[in-house]
Amino acid sequence: MRDNTLKYVLVLPAVMVVFATAIWPLMESARLSATVGRLNRPGSLDQYIGLENYTWAFFEEPAFWNSVWVTGIYTILTVGLTTIFALGLALLLAPGGRLRSGVQTLLILPFAMSPALIGVSFRFMFNPEFGLFDAFFGAVMPPLADVSWLADPTLAFAVCVMADVWGWIPFLTLVLIGGLASIPQDTIEAAQVDGASGWRVFKDVTLPQLAPVLAVVIILKSIFSLKTFDQIFMLTNGGPGTATQTLSHYIYFNGMKYGQIGYAASVAWLMVIPMILLTYLYARFVFRKD
Amino acid sequence: MAEVILKNLTKRWGDFVGVDNQSLDIHDKEFLVLLGPSGCGKTTTMRMIAGLEEPTSGEIWIGERKVNDDLPKDRDVAMVFQNYGLYPHMTIFDNIAYPLKVRGTPKADIRPRVERAAEQVELTQFLGRKPKALSGGQRQRVALARAIVRTPKVFLMDEPLSNLDAKLRVTMRAELKHLSRELKVTTVYVTHDQIEAMTLADRVAVMKHGVIQQLGTPDEIYNDPANLFVAGFIGSPAMNLVRGSVKDGHFITVDGVRLSTIASEDRNEVILGVRADDINVHEAGAGDIDTPIYAFENTGEASFLTVVWGDQRVIARGDRHLRKEQDDVVGLTLNPDHLYLFDPATERRIHL
Repeated sequence: MRDNTLKYVLVLPAVMVVFATAIWPLMESARLSATVGRLNRPGSLDQYIGLENYTWAFFEEPAFWNSVWVTGIYTILTVGLTTIFALGLALLLAPGGRLRSGVQTLLILPFAMSPALIGVSFRFMFNPEFGLFDAFFGAVMPPLADVSWLADPTLAFAVCVMADVWGWIPFLTLVLIGGLASIPQDTIEAAQVDGASGWRVFKDVTLPQLAPVLAVVIILKSIFSLKTFDQIFMLTNGGPGTATQTLSHYIYFNGMKYGQIGYAASVAWLMVIPMILLTYLYARFVFRKD
Repeated sequence: MAEVILKNLTKRWGDFVGVDNQSLDIHDKEFLVLLGPSGCGKTTTMRMIAGLEEPTSGEIWIGERKVNDDLPKDRDVAMVFQNYGLYPHMTIFDNIAYPLKVRGTPKADIRPRVERAAEQVELTQFLGRKPKALSGGQRQRVALARAIVRTPKVFLMDEPLSNLDAKLRVTMRAELKHLSRELKVTTVYVTHDQIEAMTLADRVAVMKHGVIQQLGTPDEIYNDPANLFVAGFIGSPAMNLVRGSVKDGHFITVDGVRLSTIASEDRNEVILGVRADDINVHEAGAGDIDTPIYAFENTGEASFLTVVWGDQRVIARGDRHLRKEQDDVVGLTLNPDHLYLFDPATERRIHL
């Protein structure tokens, strides 16, 4: 066999696996999104209705817009808070920072927990009867003493954000430590000697050189936040009401619980749009040539 | 304009002593070179003056002010780093302007001053570029321009030429010298290159193991080395150091070769120092010692002959027209006015 033919033969199995597990399901979900697609109605999976599912989501379904809103706020808050905390921690932990070593190892711990487990443990800790956080916040801020956290729309949302931020800080911190370590120390020292205060060194020299890494971190975290599901599912299951229903959770509910698989597929495809945008940005930052 | 005074300056990391109880007065407008092999504490000394390293003990004075507790930004020094330390995300203009900007110089003053500094180092046409787009030598100039754009009390230069190729280093050395004589600002310059030290310095401080071995003008450290280390470190090729003894006004190597008359009393164990320049090469029979050549090297501008006495090698410098072959016999004469004796135990110079 010629090398030229051989190379395609060797790649073929991998291509087939990708096709079977990614490409075909993707195409199938695109097809489903154009059907009536009721799991409980025989034949409806082949009953085409064009873009009706999409227009339904846009114009007839306040619950869709609610979950878009929830997902948006959730993403902005978790990305913002996680990045800020992670940057602060990274500055403390980076070479030349004030903390080091043992703390760094400890830091990775939350990241070792699965999101579902984080959801369960946070639900437990905010239990109004015997939850640790519930007792703690009650003691520190007495107005919150008798609050049932997960029964209040705003507080439940806050708990979801808290759990997510807590779980993601380590990973972002590690990436940012790496970014900080790659900044040449002499540029920072040069700025100090040139007369810059600590804050100005950070603003003028550290931050601009960290920017590419920071951008990657923010984009990655945005992708993760947008598709959050397992944690919410375990923590609040979208409730109370739909106060914490993210898009993924909304899709899951419509597809699996209500059996509207066609409609769920169309919402899933709507979610793909911001994902593609973010992925494109991510690829640009990661593979950019200097 | 200021003098820099170090008083009993010490830097320790755990058990390791980087700089050991060092005192040094650097005069106003002086160009002082800290010279020594890597790990001798020269860079640490400079970094303590800059405020980038905190001394374990001792005092640092710049001008009338003790600066131990001042942050680098408050010490009014300018530093040129070995890797230049340019801000990669800023244009050359912004790089040079940065010290002015952070010190609150009025905007209208910044442009003319940056342009003048750029002119002094011939960078004017590159002001719009980023450091990445410049060659090593040009980046070096940017670092220099950033230092001279304002008039600090002290310039600190940490091996600024060591990342340049050999040819560029010679050019930049001359430019640095010219610039420093024009600016007349107290300068501390760190290098491990003795040629740089010799050519640039008003005074050189030769360091080893965190201690200054000798402080003096280039002439003094070259012609009047205080100990074996300085003698062996300064000069290229390095000074020949030959073990032997002095008997009846003659130096005799440990292998019994009678080298030269020397104005010294009898001594059992000494080390004779003689530079390659101070060994005259003659035809066989015409010098004091006839000896075969171990290796002959012609560099174009001079010729170097290596001879071997026992296990000791000695290099002599011959005329650039001299042509010899290995194993040819030549006559050597040591210049009796430029011989040095050292005590092998203390490594100190024995003054004749």
